[in-house]
Amino acid sequence: MDGIDLEVAAGEVFGFLGPNGAGKTTTVRMLVTLLRPTGGHARVAGFDVAEQPAQVRRRIGVALQDAALDPLMTGSELIELQATLHGIAPRKVRARGAVLIERVGLSQAADRRVGTYSGGMRRRLDLAMALIHEPEVLFLDEPTTGLDPTSRLTLWDEVRRLRDEGTTVFLTTQYLEEADQLADRLGIIAAGRIVAGGTPAALKAEIGTPHLDLVLADCSDLGRAREVVKRFGDHRPATDGCHLSIGLAHGAADIAPILRALDDAGFAVAELELKQPTLDDVFLAKTGEHLEGAAEPEPQAAAGLV
Amino acid sequence: MSALRQDLRTIGALMRRGLNEILRVPGGALPGVLAPTIFMLGLSAAFGEAAQLPGFSADDFRTFIVPVGLLQGAGFTGAATGVNLARDIEHGWFDRLMLAPAKRPVLLAGVVGSACLRSLLPATFLLIVAFALGVSWPGVGALVLGALLIMGFAAAVACFATVLALRFRTQQAAPLMQVGSFIVIFFTTAYAPRELLSDWLRALADANPVTHVLEGMRQGYVGDVTWATTWPALLAVTALVTLFGTLAVRGMSRQGY
Amino acid sequence: MRAASVALARRALRNSFRKPQFLAPLVLFPTLFLAVNVGGLERTTSLEGFPAVDGFLDFQLAAAITQSLLLGGVSAGIAAALDIEGGFFDRLVASPTPRLAIVLGRVLAASVIAVLQVTYFLVLGAIFGASIKGGAFGVLCVLAIGIVAGTGFGALGVMIALRARNASTVQGIFPLVFVVLFASSAFFPADLLSAPADVIAVYNPLSYIADGMRQPIAFGNELGPLLKGLAAAAGVAVVATGLSVLALRGRLRQA
Repeated sequence: MDGIDLEVAAGEVFGFLGPNGAGKTTTVRMLVTLLRPTGGHARVAGFDVAEQPAQVRRRIGVALQDAALDPLMTGSELIELQATLHGIAPRKVRARGAVLIERVGLSQAADRRVGTYSGGMRRRLDLAMALIHEPEVLFLDEPTTGLDPTSRLTLWDEVRRLRDEGTTVFLTTQYLEEADQLADRLGIIAAGRIVAGGTPAALKAEIGTPHLDLVLADCSDLGRAREVVKRFGDHRPATDGCHLSIGLAHGAADIAPILRALDDAGFAVAELELKQPTLDDVFLAKTGEHLEGAAEPEPQAAAGLV
Repeated sequence: MSALRQDLRTIGALMRRGLNEILRVPGGALPGVLAPTIFMLGLSAAFGEAAQLPGFSADDFRTFIVPVGLLQGAGFTGAATGVNLARDIEHGWFDRLMLAPAKRPVLLAGVVGSACLRSLLPATFLLIVAFALGVSWPGVGALVLGALLIMGFAAAVACFATVLALRFRTQQAAPLMQVGSFIVIFFTTAYAPRELLSDWLRALADANPVTHVLEGMRQGYVGDVTWATTWPALLAVTALVTLFGTLAVRGMSRQGY
Repeated sequence: MRAASVALARRALRNSFRKPQFLAPLVLFPTLFLAVNVGGLERTTSLEGFPAVDGFLDFQLAAAITQSLLLGGVSAGIAAALDIEGGFFDRLVASPTPRLAIVLGRVLAASVIAVLQVTYFLVLGAIFGASIKGGAFGVLCVLAIGIVAGTGFGALGVMIALRARNASTVQGIFPLVFVVLFASSAFFPADLLSAPADVIAVYNPLSYIADGMRQPIAFGNELGPLLKGLAAAAGVAVVATGLSVLALRGRLRQA
């Protein structure tokens, strides 16, 4: 890591977005007391991670990238073991475990061995185990990697619910949409450094305005078409001879006037698309590279079925 | 709940998990249970005539090496504990343990405690076979002492194997764990009384604390149980557990914070 | 066929030498056992009926070699099983590689490692005072029997891997290696074994393999035991290779 400075407010979802190898997991491991940093300091839930690690561990829940679960144990047994390790009183263990299992939708599978679980079920159990002791801060390290879209949405809902209940969530992800959907604030990390920080909207606004991509029905007089729309915004590089791409200074409100202008000049529009700046645009602006995994991943056929 | 009660609960929960390996894996326990008995039977079939040597303290070789088999079972169990921990480290389960607020010695006690219990399984099987083949009953005192020494030795080897698991973080360190256990058991008066050993092996056996453990366990099978032989055995096993336990706790503390 | 077998043998050897923790137990454990046996039981050479030897080490060396070769077979089996588990086997089957080369490659690698194993123990024995009474010819005889036996044990390991398909099952036969070895005259003279080992030893090829290698080390180059040892080793190699080819065919039929 090359210097990480960040602050996460209580009760917010903080997204840590970056490509593979950027340092997201390393940062998480330092914050959850699994890895000694070589320099600097950090406080989690009010306690110094180096000086007061036991107090930190009491107040955090962690779901790491690999949902490390014992395949020989059932879901219920694992939850109860986790509860015991975190000092939950014996008379409360069963009840609390049952509530959490119900909450993550594993009631039917609770008495089956974890070795029979799908990837999505394992993630949900991992989340339940991370919540058993009602942590103040929850660390989720790439929680939806490898999950199918339905499982991912279910997990997103759970993260929102946790935030609504007042839990602080530190979420690492390589998926733009996930960061966009869930994070109140983001830190974008590349090569061990934070390259940008702020709310998703602010980061995107910092980069630029929306743009309109048009495909004309007749490409024979593109130069004149460009002249027609010049007054509405800057031209962006087009992908081929039939495309026009215009930055919209006033957002979607500019679309109708542009179309009217083109129509008045005799141009027919075959296709049009309004594009907002993305976090990938932010990443590109800050690092000169696209974020890996910017495209939605292929759902894994077997692992990830709900 | 008091801190002590919580620690005991944690230890109990981890011990229960440790028993799954033999309770829930069909045939999983078999190699570890059978191997010491196979060794005992094989060694006595191959080297049985050694008991005819003048100065051999037992009437038959099998009786003489029963304690070796008992220690071997404890050693295998301890080494297996280290291998399982290395597997847990490889698969990320160990991170989960490290994230628990429990003290590191408590977590270690849970891991090692299951080894102590499990070590009684190969020992019981070996004794059943040995008695069936004519090894004479050593007496309840010897059996109780033997059980203590078996569990203690298993704990010591489990701590040693834990040190290796934490150092190498891979199951490929398994041979090191097994070989270490083998060396300390066999470089003793395993095969013959001290006086019949070659000079170099006698010197090693004299320096090896496990010799005292072995001689302590041999009581009842060869000769009577006496305090003079018992206290060095108990001291040796306590010292080994303390030494390797301390190293193991230190190793665990070095993982993160 | 030859090129493919050699290429696969090279791969197997390369992988072995890149992971010394797989190779070390092949010599480390038998060395320790040898040391303990010699140190603990050297006086048994004075027992009535024990053949005249210059030292117990002379007698035990062949046992250590045999044990090491057997462990080499287990190791070859584990490596083959890992190939099956990891998908490399399927990759080979789906390629133009001659099927037989899949077995022969591993077996060839086992024979190369056998050379190293036998050499190691002969040198170790010489360092610690064993006399190789058969001289240079004796050494060659030990190598010959050892290599053929090692080849056979390697083939056995591959056969077990093809049937078992996972490494932990193959590893589980490790105690069985000792069962078979103890029920032979590898560690102690056949006349001094206890029942039922004395009976089993007569029919156990390991007895003849160990005795064959022991002959030039402890006693001198007498043709009878040498030929018996070589024949037993060859028998094991032929049968084991045949069984592993059958196992390969069976596996491919199921695919």
